[in-house]
Amino acid sequence: MQARLTGRNAAELRFRLYGLFAIGAAIATLGVLLFSIVGKGYTAFVQTEILLDVRFDAAAIGDLEDLEGEGRRAALQRADYGALLRESLREQFPDVEGRTAIRSLTALVSTGARAMLREKIADDPALLDRSVPLWLTADDEVDMLMKGQIARDVPESERRLSDVQLAWVDALEAEGRIRTVFNRTFLTAGDSREPELAGVWGALVGSFLTLAVALGVSFPIGVLTAVYLEEFAPKNRWTDLVEVNINNLAAVPSIVYGLLGLAVFLNILQLPRSAPLVGGLTLALMTLPTIIIAARSAILGVPPSIREAARGVGASPLQVVAHHVLPLALPGILTGTIIGMARALGETAPLLMVGMVAFIVDVPGSLTDAATVLPVQIFLWADSPERGFVEKVSGAILVLMTFLLLMNAGAIVMRQKFEKRW
Amino acid sequence: MLLAPSDSEAEVIVPEPSTEEFRPKMNATAVDVYYGDTHAVKKVDLPILEGDVTALIGPSGCGKSTLLRCFNRMNDAIAACRVEGEITLEGRSIFDAEIDVVELRARVGMVFQKPNPFPKSVYDNVAYGPRIHGIARKGPEMDAIVASSLERAGLWQEVKDRLQESGTALSGGQQQRLCIARAIAVDPEVILMDEPCSALDPIATAKIEELICELRGRFAIAIVTHNMQQAARVSQRTAFFHLGELVEYGRTEDIFTNPVQERTRDYITGRYG
Repeated sequence: MQARLTGRNAAELRFRLYGLFAIGAAIATLGVLLFSIVGKGYTAFVQTEILLDVRFDAAAIGDLEDLEGEGRRAALQRADYGALLRESLREQFPDVEGRTAIRSLTALVSTGARAMLREKIADDPALLDRSVPLWLTADDEVDMLMKGQIARDVPESERRLSDVQLAWVDALEAEGRIRTVFNRTFLTAGDSREPELAGVWGALVGSFLTLAVALGVSFPIGVLTAVYLEEFAPKNRWTDLVEVNINNLAAVPSIVYGLLGLAVFLNILQLPRSAPLVGGLTLALMTLPTIIIAARSAILGVPPSIREAARGVGASPLQVVAHHVLPLALPGILTGTIIGMARALGETAPLLMVGMVAFIVDVPGSLTDAATVLPVQIFLWADSPERGFVEKVSGAILVLMTFLLLMNAGAIVMRQKFEKRW
Repeated sequence: MLLAPSDSEAEVIVPEPSTEEFRPKMNATAVDVYYGDTHAVKKVDLPILEGDVTALIGPSGCGKSTLLRCFNRMNDAIAACRVEGEITLEGRSIFDAEIDVVELRARVGMVFQKPNPFPKSVYDNVAYGPRIHGIARKGPEMDAIVASSLERAGLWQEVKDRLQESGTALSGGQQQRLCIARAIAVDPEVILMDEPCSALDPIATAKIEELICELRGRFAIAIVTHNMQQAARVSQRTAFFHLGELVEYGRTEDIFTNPVQERTRDYITGRYG
């Protein structure tokens, strides 16, 4: 007896240790993952800038005073801001001669700097013919150099920046003309071919619109289906068949839903390609079984005594459901919905099929605009050759995970709010 | 009446309509209930008298709860359950197409075996019935109904300061009295009680029994109980069931002191059950 008791206690201790070990391993893995992503991704949120004294030459821009409205805008569009940049850089480095040398000099500044100059002069025409110090976005190669991603000790031919360019950057740095600031572009811009101009906002808005459509379609249909199947449908062979089918649909690979979306929404219904509307509908199809299953088990979890009580005081079947069953099942339904939505947020495959994989620069403004979503954006950037996109990938993953965390936090708050004891 | 053929005194169990206290509020005639293939209630005739408490006693599985649930058609929700025969309320069949089951349940309230208050406030628990039936509007009118229902259920003194607390936070006995208050808030004519004290301690049980005695003048009450002392204490009429049959029905004092059927006598003296 005593020996058995000792054995049983030892077994219990071992079991607890296994548990602790498993939890420890899980936390360690998560830690490594987070550490790696944050370590690679935090630099995406900062950006190198170069200080240049830009002279807004009236000869290059034209006389803005005389022009109004459309003509003025056209003049602003026409102006050669590249020349302005070239001039100010040559002022900085007067001894640089020759087209090739000047081209590699101007390559230090991002191509986006021209648009920045245009906005500047459009906002304040008084700057014309004056020289102003401006912090301009550096090219991604310079950015990478400042972030320590370009090794200086490899042969020049294997380096993205030449020896001369390195010397120029060093000279600028020595003069205090290089700084690192918070990268607002990354959080406010759409996609771009240039890493220093690329941002996640377009994908974030795309994800948001797509999820809104998916939620708006799948939540009501899913909950109503679950309520009907649990509370109203007769239990017979047909409902059994429906139930088996729903359970099977939850296990169908997501790419199949993508093909379904392609066939139904694009080919038959002729809805716009690459649009959050179609992406959302496709994800709604994918999420429906998850929501139905979660909602059914939540409804099943409501004690029958509550239904009897409501029926006993004369509530109609609809009142039983609306006043008692649904409010009590809501926390469970919400949990299931959030799990489904989180899966939809991370989904790429079905969206590839409905054209949400395109390179889209504009931030989508409506449900029918071309858009992409965060995971697809991550995939596109990971596929890009530029070194500058590596940190953007990790940065976008951080944004995606923050989005997810916020969604889950919202779900927990709502669940707490609706949770009731019985 | 389904009786063993050897029982010669069968007529005794049929209440004589001539007696003046025989005023059937509800009347079951030749009721059969089937659960799938199980014949749970067999050809039962049972009146529920106005102003009286009718106790339904018998061993477990004898069909008394099943029969009770027929009186307000609670068995409708069970797909496998089939009811045959006739049940009337004030002379009208409750299975009549013109009688809405919602209306029937407003007139025939029910209290269940386990206290099952809604996970809402005490106030909302009582106000729910009047609200869905449109008996009273929000405000003083509803407050009065809630107060008087709780008063009649003997709960007002205990909960008047905690009307907004959850009904599930009350003790078991208080919860059951809350359920009774909820049932009487819609002013029913009949109250069906399905072993209302089986989940309660003796003190809470005593309070419920006292309450049943107070309510008896206003409502026709039918109570299913396993506790024979309880049946003797609270009821005026007793029906004894065995294996789905109504074995004996009569005045409570007659059933308990001088039962006609041998099975009744055996059950009451504790031979089986």
